[in-house]
Amino acid sequence: MNRKTSLPLLFLIPPLVVLAILAFVPTIAAVNIALQNRELSFPNSSYVWFANFIDLFNDRRFLNAIRISLIWEVVTVTATMLVAILLAIFLYETASLRMRNLVTVLFIIPVMLPRVSAAFVWKFMFNPLFGLINYPIKLLTGAPVDFLSLPSTALASVAIVDVWQWGLFFSVIILKLLETLPPQPFEAARLDNARTWEVHFYIGIPMLAAPLLSLVFVKMVESLRAFDLIYVMTRGGPGIATETLDMYAFSQGFVEAGKISYASSMAVLMMFATIIAFTVLWKWVRKWQ
Amino acid sequence: MIDRLYRTALFGSAALLIFANSANAQICNSTVRVLAQPRDSLTLLENYKDEFKKLSGASFEFDYLNENDRRAKSRAEAATTGKYNVYYIDEANVALFAESNWIVPLLDYYPADASYDDFDAGRKKVASYNGIAYFAPIQGGGDLLYYRKDVLEKAGITPPKTLEEYEAALAKLNDPAKGFYGTALRGGRGSGANVWRWMTYFKAFGGEWFVDGKPAFNSDAAVKATETYLRLFKYSAPGTQTGSWTEVTEAFNSGNVAMIIESSPLAGQTEDPKQSSVAGKVGYTVPPRPLVGGGYGHGLAIGAKANADDAAKKCAGAFIAWATSKQNEERRLEQGIFGDINRTSVINSDAFKKKYGAEIGNALNETAQYTDVNFWVNADWPDLGDRWGIILEELITGSRTDIKGGLDELEAYANKLIARR
Repeated sequence: MNRKTSLPLLFLIPPLVVLAILAFVPTIAAVNIALQNRELSFPNSSYVWFANFIDLFNDRRFLNAIRISLIWEVVTVTATMLVAILLAIFLYETASLRMRNLVTVLFIIPVMLPRVSAAFVWKFMFNPLFGLINYPIKLLTGAPVDFLSLPSTALASVAIVDVWQWGLFFSVIILKLLETLPPQPFEAARLDNARTWEVHFYIGIPMLAAPLLSLVFVKMVESLRAFDLIYVMTRGGPGIATETLDMYAFSQGFVEAGKISYASSMAVLMMFATIIAFTVLWKWVRKWQ
Repeated sequence: MIDRLYRTALFGSAALLIFANSANAQICNSTVRVLAQPRDSLTLLENYKDEFKKLSGASFEFDYLNENDRRAKSRAEAATTGKYNVYYIDEANVALFAESNWIVPLLDYYPADASYDDFDAGRKKVASYNGIAYFAPIQGGGDLLYYRKDVLEKAGITPPKTLEEYEAALAKLNDPAKGFYGTALRGGRGSGANVWRWMTYFKAFGGEWFVDGKPAFNSDAAVKATETYLRLFKYSAPGTQTGSWTEVTEAFNSGNVAMIIESSPLAGQTEDPKQSSVAGKVGYTVPPRPLVGGGYGHGLAIGAKANADDAAKKCAGAFIAWATSKQNEERRLEQGIFGDINRTSVINSDAFKKKYGAEIGNALNETAQYTDVNFWVNADWPDLGDRWGIILEELITGSRTDIKGGLDELEAYANKLIARR
């Protein structure tokens, strides 16, 4: 019996067309602008082809932004996953079911806060004159630490806020995943006198490898979009110590110079770099699995 | 009561005068859209929407963005969609807006009887580009030295008159162990932030931005200004190294700082007990010599794109005239919105003296002679100024130490900017 029908196509084509328009039109427009010398304050523009891309590699702020973006990505993804896994195991091992449910609600609150609000709250907490974080430091050392103004601490301070939002949320997910695992492998390991960390390191985490990798990918994508957090807390400063690629592109396009072609060339490079990096990582993970 | 009735009558007649030519005509056909940054004076205007509607036949709407976002968005918006009838612009971007034809000359559509000449001369100067007025001031002024009378008196220090005296006083008053600091300087990036304050030193030491169209700022004056500014940060309150107006004024108003050189609108906040813990304890005088105060002004300009015909431009002009009228300035004075008073007739009025005392008024009058336009009046100024702001922030926070290298980098950038025009 021939079950072939064109009905699926009928349903699939319209949304695929909409998706293609949404995805390709802005992408093509961005590539087109990146090849020109368009600036907001000039009515006319012309094609300069790859000149913007060549200029980028002679721009110390762009090279710095690549470095900062990579550090940000590695630090926030790693720290978020570590905090989440450790907290989840701690709760799984020590908290009663009732306590876990309560903590779960509390841990979800930070991620529900709008990023901008969280950034303002933490910015005030880091304030060296009035901030809560500096109060014990002033009592102990007699002088406050201006975390957001020091090149050595600014990026780490912003990363703490990111990890606070996502690490706690992910710990709830991992806790719930741990609760779904069959208890027998854990019981068998404990009968063999395995320590708690060994139980989780050799049994629990490997059993959760697939969902944990998914969380890593989610966090990697999310970390690429930390613009609002950094913008409110440091605006990329001190100097360029926390200036990520999206921050620098926005700055060149709209804040400082109005150079939208130059900004677009950064966005295009970022897009290609992200596509390549994620494709390679995805293939590597699938091979490893 | 009589005073109030008299004032109401005066406001009414002033408004009638402004709109006399069109008393029977509808000046506006649609709501006036304004892209602005939050100011108490603009919020106050919203209480009088009905008044404007009665006078013009239409209402108005403000879209507010904070200063940095307003600067960024208004540039992008004016260059593309241009849907706002009125833009809130400032001294730093009037050249860019005027040269790009995003705004039109104001006085062509500003009613003659709204007395544009009544505005403070410094504010009119920064509202103009190539001798043409583009905005009517909402706020502006120069610099003042604000000092804690109680603290200086206790330390036996008189208000410093020279930069040397100022630095010596800061060294003496700075006491970080007790959480008290000599001053609060703007370290945060931006042509209107750290660069704004740095320029007062740059000009004081004889610096020039451009001479005969060529960059001249990579000079001994710039190096000396930067060295001095960085040295003074030893006495600046924590949090100001990457802070701007908000951070430095909060530090001063919270009572943690002895002296501050800042723009004149701070006086209104400092004397308001709701915003300041040092109200009544602050003295006002001119900044130490040879500093050159930074003259500035923010105001309302007529958008070119959204006002396609003369009638629409006249409507926008009528709105600006009403919003910046003497009657509205007097309302601001009554509400204690000190920073947004721009008309000489109001600054020199008895009501102003009664409200703020003679000391502030005298300091304002005296500082005018030490105030100048310190920035490079050019469409590329925001770009160049912001670029220097980032390098300066790097120097202030210690992520770079080569002042000359920073100025070389800025010069190379300036040459690139000039070459593309």
